[in-house]
Amino acid sequence: MSDTRTLSRAGGLARFKGANNEGVLALVLVVLIIGMTIISPSFFSVGTFFAILRSSIVPLVFALAVLIVIISGGIDVSFAAIAIFAAYTAVKLTGSGNFDPGLIAIVLFACLIGALLGLVNGAVIARFRLSTLIVTLGTQGIFRGLLVAYIGSRYIADLPGSMSAVSTSNLISLEGGGANAYLHVLVVPVVLLCVLVALMLRKTMFGRGIYALGGDMEAARRAGFSVVRIQIALYVLAGVLAALAGVFHVILGRNANPQDLVGTELDIIAAVVLGGASIFGGRGSVLGTVLGVLLVQLINNSLILVGVPTAWQRTAVGVLLVIGVGIQAISAKRESKRVLVNDEVKE
Amino acid sequence: MAQTKNQPDLHTPGGFNARIDNGMGAMLGRLTRDRSVVRMLVLLVAAFAFFTLLRPSIFLNPLNLENIAVSAPEIGILAIAMMLAMLTGGIDLSVVAIANFTAITITTLYAGLAAGNPGQANSLLPLILLLGLALAAVAGWFNGFLIGVVGITPILATLATMQILNGIAVVWTGGQTLYGAPEALSVIAKTTIVGVPVLFLFFLLIAVVVAVLVNVTPLGLKLQLQGANPVAARYSGIGSRRVLTSTYVTSGLLGGLAGIVFIARNPTASADYGSSYVLLVIVIAVLGGTNPAGGFATVAGVVLATLTLQVVSSGFNALRLSAYEYSIAQGVILIAVMIADQMRFRSRRRKRDLQPPVPAAPETQGKS
Repeated sequence: MSDTRTLSRAGGLARFKGANNEGVLALVLVVLIIGMTIISPSFFSVGTFFAILRSSIVPLVFALAVLIVIISGGIDVSFAAIAIFAAYTAVKLTGSGNFDPGLIAIVLFACLIGALLGLVNGAVIARFRLSTLIVTLGTQGIFRGLLVAYIGSRYIADLPGSMSAVSTSNLISLEGGGANAYLHVLVVPVVLLCVLVALMLRKTMFGRGIYALGGDMEAARRAGFSVVRIQIALYVLAGVLAALAGVFHVILGRNANPQDLVGTELDIIAAVVLGGASIFGGRGSVLGTVLGVLLVQLINNSLILVGVPTAWQRTAVGVLLVIGVGIQAISAKRESKRVLVNDEVKE
Repeated sequence: MAQTKNQPDLHTPGGFNARIDNGMGAMLGRLTRDRSVVRMLVLLVAAFAFFTLLRPSIFLNPLNLENIAVSAPEIGILAIAMMLAMLTGGIDLSVVAIANFTAITITTLYAGLAAGNPGQANSLLPLILLLGLALAAVAGWFNGFLIGVVGITPILATLATMQILNGIAVVWTGGQTLYGAPEALSVIAKTTIVGVPVLFLFFLLIAVVVAVLVNVTPLGLKLQLQGANPVAARYSGIGSRRVLTSTYVTSGLLGGLAGIVFIARNPTASADYGSSYVLLVIVIAVLGGTNPAGGFATVAGVVLATLTLQVVSSGFNALRLSAYEYSIAQGVILIAVMIADQMRFRSRRRKRDLQPPVPAAPETQGKS
């Protein structure tokens, strides 16, 4: 209701702002890039751009998984554990590099494990209607414990040939002039995944069901959505996405370390929330998430260039989160006040 | 609570019945209230008996028992802090970061002073400790400000505070472990009174203070109401800003106290000490009967849950199981308890739905 009102008042501005402040986020990104270019001209180069893209590959796939869960009104902190569980197990089963079933088989196997672990999350959450944060905190401990205690605690340095071949292949390589720029080939599946998830969220009944679930679970049930089925399916999907991110991480890092990834959950959640997804569910977009992840990566990259120790990154992401979410919260408060006044006038 | 307002006339027969009804109602209420405490007591005894039977020589060793008593306080205090935040329907992910931050502040200040003049450092120790606690309170206040005034969801607000404090701590220490924490604290931590470590008594003291705060003071009542139903609390004239701010300042202070216990037990401080504590502390709070959605918690339950998990942890050690197997156990316990609670809640509701609405409310009987 309020959306249409603002649209008619300032159509262009509202459209630029976007449903989840994507426009504002894009503006912040542009301002940051201009600012960085002024401070250190070497920043503005294809090399930097490609480097930021490369560092965004894994966080972005994670962010897609988190986005789906957050839109449905939940929160998932087990995705990093699922990712490394799936990727490490897949690599381990290939005999630590001796036997190579091919990249596709490894990826499929990892996805299968991811789906199974996601199913555990989804089944417990949907069947017993428990708090998603607490269930996934519990499963995080279980998955990670199972991985390190029973599957393997050793770091695997030599990947199967089909995987290590991908590690070194670039989509675009610009060489010469002392500044080489490489765009890693994994950018392609990531872009593909973003498009697929965006289409799924917008165009399919399942996607709309996820939004409906996050908006109001009871209303979604009464509207005819099978809440239990959608909830289970979305955690399975999040598990598969997490497993893919895990495989990408292993490929990019050229080793499989069971201690990796766990501990980075909160950075991803922060990026998704900065991207305009509402922690209460029902709001969020793939575009916003992409911008949120890029913003966090850009800031991390800029801090290094400006000479700020990398240790400040955590603080920077925290401050960013406070500002981003704080603005959202304050504007939400204002919005709710305005709606209240409207209702009184009508009656 | 409602019964006391409604004292029926004791001299008429109807009044007498009503009094019995009221008494029964209050007792039943207390039974359900204490159920989580009773359950925890049973679990604690069961866990203790289980590991005693499996490994009597190692588990019943006085050294092992003392170890449990010395390692429980820091986790228990953090769990009580988490419980307070959960009581208002929130969560405090930053407690461990606050504890580490306090520990680092105190260690740095003390080590800096002691390098120049050890005597002066020792005489200023109380002041240094107070300063550390004050910083913890400020961090807690910041959480409360973000949640109560700005309106950010507790998960995100405390997540941000955690990141900020953690980042500052990493930068400050350069990612290394600091040595030179006050020795006086270690000395105190090693003393025992009638065989009970002082740290454990300190933990019990804090538990009692928080229990009084929650159950007796007006603030405690407001806290519970805020968690049970924020809208009703607002319409009852409870200022959620002040309640939330005082809650998070208190949980911050408790985090600071846990930080002091950290350095008393182990005279080093680092930015990532106890990184697995966040999960553990939530497990303890939920296991102790805290409703993560707010409105219900008991300090006694949390204290017993802390002891139970410490018993399980040292039992796992005695059985030579790894930390990862302990983390599996934590996860399984957490989810099993939540499922059990949910099933009980559902079956009770089903029973109530099936029964015809016979039982008359005591209030109406009292009036007749």
